[in-house]
Amino acid sequence: MPSPEQILQIVSELAASWTWKMETRQPEPNRIDVVLPSPADLVPFVVGLRVQRLGYLSTITGLDPGVDSGHLELLYHFCPGPAVINLRLTVPRDGARVPTLTEIIPSAESAEREVREMFGVTFDGLRNADPLYLPDDWPAGVYPLRKDFDGNGRLKLA
Amino acid sequence: MEPRSETERFTVPIGPQHPALKEPGHFRISVEGEIVTQAAVRLGYAHRGIEKGAEGRNWIRNQYLVERICGICSHIHATAYCLGVERLAKVEVPPRAQVIRVLVAELERIHSHLLWIGVAGHEAGFDTLFMYSWRDREAIMDVLEALTGNRVNYSANVLGGVKCDVDDALRDTILRTVDGLEKRTEHYLRVVTTDALFLQRTRGIGVMTRAQAEVLGAVGPTARASGVERDVRVEAPYAAYPSFPVRIVTDTRGDLEARVVVRVRELFECYRLVREILDHMPPGELHGRMPRRIPEGETISRVEAPRGELFYFLKSNGSDTPERVRVRTPTVCNMTSVVRLVVGHQLADVPMILAGIDPCFSCNDRVIDVERKGRAAEQWTWEQLRAYGVDTYHGHRP
Amino acid sequence: MDTVRNFFALVLFPSGLFLLAASLIYEWVDRKLLAQFQNRIGPRWFQPFADVVKLLSKEEVVPRGGSSALFLGLPVIGLAAALTAALYVPLAGLAPSFSFTGDLIVTIYLLSVLTLCMGLAGSNTIGRFSLVGATRTLTQLFSYEAPFLLALLGPALVAGSWQISEISQYAQSHWLILTQPIGFIVAVIGLMGKLELPPFDAPEAETEIVAGALTEYSGRGLALFRLGKGVEMVIGLTLVAAFFLGGVATPLLFLVKTLGLLVVVAGLQALLARLRIDQTVGLWWRYGVLLVFVQWLLIVVLREVRL
Repeated sequence: MPSPEQILQIVSELAASWTWKMETRQPEPNRIDVVLPSPADLVPFVVGLRVQRLGYLSTITGLDPGVDSGHLELLYHFCPGPAVINLRLTVPRDGARVPTLTEIIPSAESAEREVREMFGVTFDGLRNADPLYLPDDWPAGVYPLRKDFDGNGRLKLA
Repeated sequence: MEPRSETERFTVPIGPQHPALKEPGHFRISVEGEIVTQAAVRLGYAHRGIEKGAEGRNWIRNQYLVERICGICSHIHATAYCLGVERLAKVEVPPRAQVIRVLVAELERIHSHLLWIGVAGHEAGFDTLFMYSWRDREAIMDVLEALTGNRVNYSANVLGGVKCDVDDALRDTILRTVDGLEKRTEHYLRVVTTDALFLQRTRGIGVMTRAQAEVLGAVGPTARASGVERDVRVEAPYAAYPSFPVRIVTDTRGDLEARVVVRVRELFECYRLVREILDHMPPGELHGRMPRRIPEGETISRVEAPRGELFYFLKSNGSDTPERVRVRTPTVCNMTSVVRLVVGHQLADVPMILAGIDPCFSCNDRVIDVERKGRAAEQWTWEQLRAYGVDTYHGHRP
Repeated sequence: MDTVRNFFALVLFPSGLFLLAASLIYEWVDRKLLAQFQNRIGPRWFQPFADVVKLLSKEEVVPRGGSSALFLGLPVIGLAAALTAALYVPLAGLAPSFSFTGDLIVTIYLLSVLTLCMGLAGSNTIGRFSLVGATRTLTQLFSYEAPFLLALLGPALVAGSWQISEISQYAQSHWLILTQPIGFIVAVIGLMGKLELPPFDAPEAETEIVAGALTEYSGRGLALFRLGKGVEMVIGLTLVAAFFLGGVATPLLFLVKTLGLLVVVAGLQALLARLRIDQTVGLWWRYGVLLVFVQWLLIVVLREVRL
């Protein structure tokens, strides 16, 4: 396994090879954040990581910056050995659609199902989109990890 | 509603309440005769909304919340959380505290692996192994109690350090316990590698090749049994692991036997680490100063739980409560592999393969009412119960 | 006078109350021994009694989807068959109450009726665990029955009789465990298969199929089936002791020999991990039957040679 510096180097070179500009940050010595411009870049970039044998997906985190921002953020955490690669993807709050990774990484299924039910992001091509954690009778359109969910099963009224 | 077909009739539901599972989960196993043709998993029966709950509590209270995610590996959850928060706050943790964190983590790993051996034995219908390994597990729980004050949910961590210390008397107790357990573990290793009937249930069952393990994203001993060298303690050492390097234990066979053997071999590695730590305890403070408000930022904290890589993502908005706490437990990763591996196996092997999902459970109260004939109900203390239970037989107290 | 004697034999001794009490005591000994081997405390002496009383007083839940008459009737038939078998066996070292030529075959088949009833009871529900359990129970029945029977035929062959009392008589002067060790081993292990004790407890493997064929049974039915199994254990131990361990002529000999066997059985339970059902079948048909046949041939050939 290469050292963290080498991995970070490989990833920033990969990001630099994109036709359009892709922003990268190194907030910690062993971590690189890559801001993906659009969901369409996700699968090619992950394929690129897997070609470099850096494609161990730890999990996907959903972030809700608040109702006012009008968008959600998805973080794909890849943890090859000592380094952490975060792919950051900003999606609209309503009707967000992101391609699935399960075709390349089968274990992404549980993470995608969780983000789907907790944040309301649709993963195109996800075969099994049943709820994973939430009850079968959970109301449609209520996403508990969004900030406008107050934890009592109701949406906060503005 | 689809019409009930013949195959649906022979879907064996395992869970949410089932003797094979010590915590609720639901598996739908379709069988043809005794052969499994399909498996699906449904989780969430113990979903407590902890990630959401964490957003409403302050940083200190959250430590106690994440400790309650799992009853068996509560310390490692707290460690992952504390390491992350300390990195965000840029607080230096004294070396002695880091070492004690690792010490408790390794004791917890011993506890967890001993427990797992028992569960594996029980799933294989080998209750004698179950009874013996759980009896030995008592010894390690006693040590953890002496060290932290609790048998489960040890709460050894505080933000910025630890709150328990090891003195010389305790050091001797731990070393004695570890010596005793090492002998027992040698015996278990012999049993699980030579007992013909147990091997019939483990050898060549649930084989996961190295390639499969990598594609399915397996972690922890499950991955290491397939030859994947994935161990956060080795890859990205945290806390005191840089000064106490871990020798990674792997196996290449990838079957159930390999998973049992890897876990038992890891026990020896734990014993070695515990001894080395106790011999080289750095002196000093137990905790640093933590601010109440954590500076804005994001961090990722990865640690090696007994079951594999535990992942925490923490985001602070500069206030005294976190913006987001994301927890990914190792079981979620291994679940994918389990659901794939059972297909094609006998129904009888399913619980054995599922045993990769370790059970969690809470410990009983300390005081139990005992009623005896002719006497009023009396309360037994822990020592009395212990004398009645564990010590009566062959006095095994390492 | 005959009526009184028959009534006595059926209700009190050797069948009936005595046997039920004996079966509960043997069950306790088995559980206690197993607990000791496994470093546990184990139940107190009245626990099996308490279990049965509790089960008998509980409400019986009859599941939908099967015949309720069968559901209620099968435990009774099973227990009755097991109790009837006791009439031909030298229980407590005393001569059997009834005896006729060929009662060995009748006894063995009466003992199988209980297992058959359990299999049928499992198939009589729509519960998945019961159905899988019933399949396994019946599969196991077909695997151990032949070798067990063949093992018991060994003593019958040398004694030249199909009558239990005569074989027992013959065995008192010949310790057949010495001349027919294979038969003895197969008989003991066959008995464990019959009683679905570990390692042959796949039909009721709790981690896979909860309680197997009896999953739907709760109150009275479960109590009767459990009693039936206890009775089967006592009779089985008696048969093996009487045939292979130099007969059981007095109550004391009976106690010593059957309890000795029970220690062995409990030890094996503690030592061995559960076999899968396919492994059980394989074991019996590949090794069990073959070994007993070898033994059987040896007996026949040696007898011919001596004559």
